[in-house]
Amino acid sequence: MNEQRTRLAGTQIDAQPMASAVANVEVDRTALDQSIADFVVRNPAYYQRVFHKIHDTTSGIPLTFNAAAALLGPLWAAARGVWGMFWGFLILEIIAWVQIGRGTWGELGAADLQQAIRQETRAQEFLDRAAAASAAGEDPSRFETLGNNLMRAAERSREAADAAAADAMMILITGVILLVLIRVVQGVWSNIAYEKQYSDWRVEPENEASGVNMLGAAFGGLLVLAVMPLTVYRFTIENVPDFLLAFPATPDHYTNTARWLEGQIDAAASAGSGTFDGIVFGVRTVLDTVSLALMGTPWPVVMIVICVIAWRSAGPRVAIFTAAALAYIAFLGYWEIAMETVALVGAAVVLCVLIGIPLGIWFGKSLRAYKFAEPVLDLMQTLPAFVYLIPIIAFFGTGNPPGILATIIFGMPPVIRLTALGIRGVPETIKEAASAFGASRRQILKDVEIPLALPSIMTGVNQTILMCLSMVVIISLIGGGGLGQVILEALQFAAKGPGLLGGFAILFVAMVIDRIVQGAFRRADLKH
Amino acid sequence: MSEPVVELSNVWKVFGERAGETVEAAQSGTLTKAEALDRYATVIGVRDASFSVARGEIFCIMGLSGSGKSTLVRHVNRLIEPTAGTIKVLGEDVSAMGTKELREMRSRHIGMVFQHMALMPHRSVRENVAYPLEIRGVPKSQRWAVSDHTLGLVDLQGYEDRLPRELSGGMQQRVGIARALASDPEILLMDEPFSALDPLIRLQLQDQFSELVSELKKTTLFITHDLDEAIRIGHRIAIMKDGGIVQVGTPEEIVTQPADDYVREFVQGISRLKLVRAHTIMQPLNGADRSVFADARRATGDTDLDTLIDMSVDADTPVVITEGGEDVGYISKAMLLRGIQGGK
Repeated sequence: MNEQRTRLAGTQIDAQPMASAVANVEVDRTALDQSIADFVVRNPAYYQRVFHKIHDTTSGIPLTFNAAAALLGPLWAAARGVWGMFWGFLILEIIAWVQIGRGTWGELGAADLQQAIRQETRAQEFLDRAAAASAAGEDPSRFETLGNNLMRAAERSREAADAAAADAMMILITGVILLVLIRVVQGVWSNIAYEKQYSDWRVEPENEASGVNMLGAAFGGLLVLAVMPLTVYRFTIENVPDFLLAFPATPDHYTNTARWLEGQIDAAASAGSGTFDGIVFGVRTVLDTVSLALMGTPWPVVMIVICVIAWRSAGPRVAIFTAAALAYIAFLGYWEIAMETVALVGAAVVLCVLIGIPLGIWFGKSLRAYKFAEPVLDLMQTLPAFVYLIPIIAFFGTGNPPGILATIIFGMPPVIRLTALGIRGVPETIKEAASAFGASRRQILKDVEIPLALPSIMTGVNQTILMCLSMVVIISLIGGGGLGQVILEALQFAAKGPGLLGGFAILFVAMVIDRIVQGAFRRADLKH
Repeated sequence: MSEPVVELSNVWKVFGERAGETVEAAQSGTLTKAEALDRYATVIGVRDASFSVARGEIFCIMGLSGSGKSTLVRHVNRLIEPTAGTIKVLGEDVSAMGTKELREMRSRHIGMVFQHMALMPHRSVRENVAYPLEIRGVPKSQRWAVSDHTLGLVDLQGYEDRLPRELSGGMQQRVGIARALASDPEILLMDEPFSALDPLIRLQLQDQFSELVSELKKTTLFITHDLDEAIRIGHRIAIMKDGGIVQVGTPEEIVTQPADDYVREFVQGISRLKLVRAHTIMQPLNGADRSVFADARRATGDTDLDTLIDMSVDADTPVVITEGGEDVGYISKAMLLRGIQGGK
């Protein structure tokens, strides 16, 4: 085969048959042509020719012109299933058609003309009154001046209207040129896009459209009909009917649904009040414990403990920074309130970890449970906090415990996700080894899975802490206390000074917690 | 030999929902792997495997990847449940065991070594080796003592407090072997333990391992995809193909009498010098003139070719083979050459 090709090329008589330098290899297109014909179905000879040309291009854009694509525009793309191109050029064509429409029937200057006519009528009125006044022997000059001024204004408006009408011609020509240009580009681009689709089709013939699809063309045509005329109409006509601009919604739907929903929520809240109160009680207990530790203990003790923790976990530099931050908070009188914030975050994190890690382990082991949980976790993270604050108020009331619940909703997903990820990432081989030595499931969990997933779990806890911190301000909206409340009050009264001071206090609290936690985890990481 | 320590009879393992049907169909007729996948959407992992391993024997299971050898050996400690067939370990039916009994058997009687070591990265070498004992609830002092002793057996003194990742691949696998030996089990399951190591280390470990195991008299099932390794280590070898056992025999039997073309292809490149023994290539003496061999050198029937070459290279007469002090046969240089070649 190779020998034959070399002979055909006629360059080297005694070439080694195995040599395959790029230049020596003859391009054999029989198989390729067959495949192209299978792909394009209609008009294979043309596409074989243009695809060859595209394949032979060494640099730059291969220049071929597809007359059908240029003539039919987006419809060609729809028929051939090149949908990306269909949408791109449909939008471009709409822009061109809007220009053409504006030039043809756009009534450019219509507004100016109407104004001119109005001004002329008013001027005429004044002039009439001036005439009447002078007939009555009064001084007409006041009306005359007004009338003449209005006349001049009307003239200017007429000039503007004429100029706009003259512009219409230019706009029309621009639109036509634009359309022709777009079609030419389509003619050139279509073969390139189609060749790309062909390449993709070779890899995934079931996922890429091939041949000419009349249904596709019809669908494309429908889309064009649905999109093009309305859009062109909207942008060319001066007075667009209201229903095109705003969706004709019925206010009743809204009020009825909202009222019904409110009733449902109230019913659910009173029906489950025992459960909700229980949850609030549980959260409050955790919060009170943390608060007591932070606020019941004398402040010098707490300060020293925090600084020592910072030192032990993150080193002297973080300890100095921590001391400075605590001094700032204390001297500005934020101590109590900052400790409340820390207690809120702490309680939320404790609950997140206590609930999140077992859930994460479960989701890590059961793929089915994880499939159910994943959308819920996504929702918890994507839902803006403001949205679920309202149901939380409805079910749990206001104050710190509901604030913690809101924080948990936002902060728990990372620890669940990363625990599950860590558990799933434990090598099967190590688990197998443990069970080969007689370990029970509980022992495998304790000795293999949790230790090996620990770095991932710790990352999750870290992220959860940071996310809980970011909720501190938001929960003040539902009566959560702490530094968030300071910020909220400053916002309400646009109090710049207090706002800034409180903001820095929050920043310092967040930075201290972040530094300490990061430092502690880095040390834990080093051990692994 | 004595009563078998591990005994598998007609073990089948079929993966997929319609495993039972597949086994029935395959038992009543022939069903290839492709047919099973096609007809029942099942994968045959092990096909009608039977063998028994005697106490102290090193039994190698050799096959290419996908031949089902790892699946087969996991039936012995029931990491994989058989679809059909019985597995007896130390005379007890493994399938009939409850969870507790099974865990007891795994932790006391079976040690396992894995291709990818499967050491716990967060535990020190000592604690890795001690883990099987920890599972059994052995106190820490005892665990550590046993662990240090076992690490001594594999020449790893001084590495007790290191983490596995600080050790080279060969050393890690020695930790793996020490862990398997820690609870002094009767049976060792070796799942391609040396495959991931480089050739030199592999040779070293093979020698060290055979020595250790024959010293400790462990019954060993040794999985490998390397026939050389199987021959170096194994007392007997089972050759697997597509889940079934093609041939079981001593290394010499496998090399001299391959059961089919598949095995023949494997053994082609194997050096026969250490495998083939005098009695297989000798010519019987009966009837021959014994006076000719009066000054000839003498060797026993199980002398290997390598030694025979040394003996005959500077001798003029053939080597005489004796059996219980009696001259029974002789080997000339020509016969020796043919023997090396593989008997034409």
